[in-house]
Amino acid sequence: MAATQKPSLTWSSAAKVAWRELQASRTKFLFVIMSVAIGVAALTGVRGFSDSFQTTLLGEARTIMAADLSARMFRQPTNEEQQQLDGLASHGIQRTQVAETISMVSSPGDPVPLLVSLKAVDPQKYPFYGAVDLQPAGDLRQVLTDATVVVAEDLLIRLHTQVGANLKIGDSTFRIAAILVREPDRMSSGMGLGPRVMMTYSALQKSGLLQRGSRSGERFLFKLSPQSGSITAVRARLERILPDAQVTDFRESNPALTDGLKRSTGLLSLICLVAMVLGAIGVAMAMRAHLQQRVEVLAIMKSIGARSSDILRIYLFQTVLLGLVGGLIGVVCGLGVEWVFPTLLGKFLPLRLDLRLPWHSALAGLATGILTTVLFCLPPLLQIRTVRPNLVLRRMVEEPETKRSLWARLIENRAQWIIAVVILLGLGGIAAALSDSIVVGRWFAGALCALLLVILGVAALTLRVLRAFLARTRLHLRSWLRHGLANLYRPGNQSAAVLAALGMGVMLILTVFLMQHGVIEEMKLTSAMNLPNIFLIDISNRELAGVKQLLAHEPEVQGDLETLPVVSGRLISVDGTPAESLKLKNFPRRLLQTVTLTWSSALPAGSTLVQGTWWDKDDGQSLVVTDHIADRLHLRLGSQLILASNGRTIPATVVAIIRHNGQHVYSRSEFILTPKALAGLPVIWYGAVHVDPRQVGALQRALFNRYPTVTVINIADVIETVQGVVQQITLVVRFLAAFSILAGAVILASSIASTQFRRIREVVVLKTLGAKRNHIAAVFSVEFIVLGLLAGLVGVIFANLLSRVLLHRLDVPFHVQWLATAVALVGTAILATATGWATSFRILGQKPLQVLREE
Amino acid sequence: MIEVRRLKKSIRNGNRTIEILKDINLLIPAGQFVAIMGASGSGKSTLLGLLAGLDSPTSGEVFIDGAEISRLPEDKLAEVRGRKLGFVFQSFQLIPTLTALENVLLPHELNGSGDGRAAAADLLRSVGLADRMHHYPIQLSGGEQQRVALARAFVLQPPIIFADEPTGNLDSANGSHVLDLLLSRNRASGATLVLVTHDAQVAVHADRRVVLRDGAIVEDTMQERA
Repeated sequence: MAATQKPSLTWSSAAKVAWRELQASRTKFLFVIMSVAIGVAALTGVRGFSDSFQTTLLGEARTIMAADLSARMFRQPTNEEQQQLDGLASHGIQRTQVAETISMVSSPGDPVPLLVSLKAVDPQKYPFYGAVDLQPAGDLRQVLTDATVVVAEDLLIRLHTQVGANLKIGDSTFRIAAILVREPDRMSSGMGLGPRVMMTYSALQKSGLLQRGSRSGERFLFKLSPQSGSITAVRARLERILPDAQVTDFRESNPALTDGLKRSTGLLSLICLVAMVLGAIGVAMAMRAHLQQRVEVLAIMKSIGARSSDILRIYLFQTVLLGLVGGLIGVVCGLGVEWVFPTLLGKFLPLRLDLRLPWHSALAGLATGILTTVLFCLPPLLQIRTVRPNLVLRRMVEEPETKRSLWARLIENRAQWIIAVVILLGLGGIAAALSDSIVVGRWFAGALCALLLVILGVAALTLRVLRAFLARTRLHLRSWLRHGLANLYRPGNQSAAVLAALGMGVMLILTVFLMQHGVIEEMKLTSAMNLPNIFLIDISNRELAGVKQLLAHEPEVQGDLETLPVVSGRLISVDGTPAESLKLKNFPRRLLQTVTLTWSSALPAGSTLVQGTWWDKDDGQSLVVTDHIADRLHLRLGSQLILASNGRTIPATVVAIIRHNGQHVYSRSEFILTPKALAGLPVIWYGAVHVDPRQVGALQRALFNRYPTVTVINIADVIETVQGVVQQITLVVRFLAAFSILAGAVILASSIASTQFRRIREVVVLKTLGAKRNHIAAVFSVEFIVLGLLAGLVGVIFANLLSRVLLHRLDVPFHVQWLATAVALVGTAILATATGWATSFRILGQKPLQVLREE
Repeated sequence: MIEVRRLKKSIRNGNRTIEILKDINLLIPAGQFVAIMGASGSGKSTLLGLLAGLDSPTSGEVFIDGAEISRLPEDKLAEVRGRKLGFVFQSFQLIPTLTALENVLLPHELNGSGDGRAAAADLLRSVGLADRMHHYPIQLSGGEQQRVALARAFVLQPPIIFADEPTGNLDSANGSHVLDLLLSRNRASGATLVLVTHDAQVAVHADRRVVLRDGAIVEDTMQERA
């Protein structure tokens, strides 16, 4: 007779059994669901909010360029190029052209002409982002016509004229319609000579100024629409269409903003990832404890004929259901958090958030919740196979451990190892997918996998060392101390797992703190209140001392004048290749006809070394270039350049590449030589200083009276925009980091809480033997404190290592934060003890008989 | 001496109130060996728990050596248990993280004075575990674990020993050994022994047999020890 195979439990039957069990102990399951929910809520809330925040932030960044993309060149496009540019319109890309040149203007009543920086725009399109502020207030589209101009206030001061008067430019006369208070892309325009005059593009064309071949720069501004494709793709296309144009996108409109965005993206990504991993840890610990509590139920089910696969099916169903319910609650809470954040933050800063229903972050949160629940439940679920039905008969009798070799255990637990690898890959995959920052995503995913293994190893090793110590000293220790330490080695205890989870959590939380601290400290440098906000151009050697003295006596001026000596020069060759033959990368060849040379004995304020080292002796040959120049001219350390100025040939070797943050006067420098190399050459000076923005006009007047040829460029508005954005980033990063730290602490607390059921029996036995509350409290406090301290120790060590790597990747210097590290260490011990007690306190009051009877 | 007056214990199960013990009155003189018997669910373990102050009665009073214990605060009760009571359970209830010697030493450390190590070691020797002192419970057989539990119950020489099915998890040889140890303690030190059992073979060794049914004492007889 053929043996008949018992049919497997159907999914619907498994669902029924799973559902019945859920119904039977709702409170216990509520705990699991809450752990999942907290993790998912943190992830959804943080991610959704940071998405909205970044969208807003990028909008702010666009105003500094007045466009999404800009292409700058020093000639008119050819017909073919013009056609290709026109073709972009079919992709929803809008375009406008801006011309910048210098010209002489004069007031009809004043025969002395003035050199001005002329800007011609199409007021119907310009600016695509941000606004042109006029005084008296008005709309540029109405105010600026072919017959009018708007001018900077210093032009009125210099020409002793006023709004409403006429201004002669070339052969045409225009009416001054308003004072130009703010143009959003002032910093992108470069430092032109003389005060600003803005006119329409068509008026410029009619004026005949362009035909004279003056230093006219053309800028095409582009605005993208949703159907335009990615900004990177459009940029690449523009670079192909206009090979000698300098194409930039809004992400690099200002170095301080660019860095701020890069770092905040990295940091916010990190915070999202940390929220996810902490959530996963919470889920894992809760499910592990939950399944361990069900071991006896599993044994009973097996003893009445259930097969491992049947039970696996029941609990897998239950697990998915718990993950789903917890995930849904978490998503709802996360959305709530996301909508509440702006309200809370609105009190502190004028944050305009483009809040949409973030399906993306909601789905990511839900998927992460379910996936991590299932991934982390697989190891305990697979252990179902090893549960022996005889547990039913020998309930509280511990199974003796048999000593086996490591290899034998590895073979036996191969399924667990495979699952562990799957979990790590899964988490790494989720981390990489969730991260907006490639730098953080890649490093974090890799580091997470490696660190999890290392931390598990360290946790196990630490416990082993402590155990060896305990074995030697145990009978000499006080009873509560011995018992408390011994409790770390309860059979089937999760000390190593709890230690690893807690250590991992501490590491992640402290990493977030250290990262935000490092990044914010760095950002403070780029948003300090006394950064220069006016630039002085064309100060002669003779005038420099006087200008410095004048500024020193003006009360509205804060700090000393930063100065930059500028020597006009030319580039002759690079590594033996003449400048005319260089293969340039979107760099107008014309710019090579004049390069600005300068000198400095040390790394200037606001600049950082990217490669190489600053010279230590004035050898007259060493050269430092900016990363921007290095990229466009394909320079590297050791490149040999020949420069020339006023008939002197200057051979130079690139010894370092630096990056400017755009906030100081040296940000205008491109080629920095040693003082000896440029000694004796004619020099003019640029200056930069911070002035009370309301007093800029007064200062301009004072300067003009004494030094009429010195031009003042007011960038106070732009600086305020940059500072505003950087401060918003700072505040939001701090807020999200604090939220993530808080959520992390709650999750870690629940991890500790999940082990409380193990202590119940012990409390009861101790009470039965006559132990008072104090003794029991001492025993458990030792256990919690030691666990907390060990986890804290592991966590702070790895947090410092991880922060060092990640900050280095974001070009932010790392310094050990001793106070934060100490607080994390002690805080973990306090958290572990407080949570341990918060969840175990109830046990202390429990009547022993109730527990003993259950056995 | 243990005295119980009008002892009642009931629990709420949903909307229902279940009476586990109904109006129990009992007086156990010092040195007596009482076997409490009854079917499963008759209330015998609950009675033992109330006698030992492991739970509070719904009403009624329990006196140990003339002092009422059922309303004492938790720490006072712990003190009474530590000084006067020894416990032996069916499932041994050893602390798994402590060695056999440390388990036996524990009551001494909690409520005794001086160094109890010598006494604990002597007791373990006396129950035949001289070579197992530094083993953890997990490394011992069921019979050995129960003998450690006995040594632990005896270490402070309490005047009263409560035993709840002490032989229930053991084979007959180990069961007899454990029972012999309990009996000899009862005889040698004059400790009162209150033992809950299903096993009539165990109960025949007692001075007195109390039988419970549905929460009430249905039989209370003195008998000659076997």
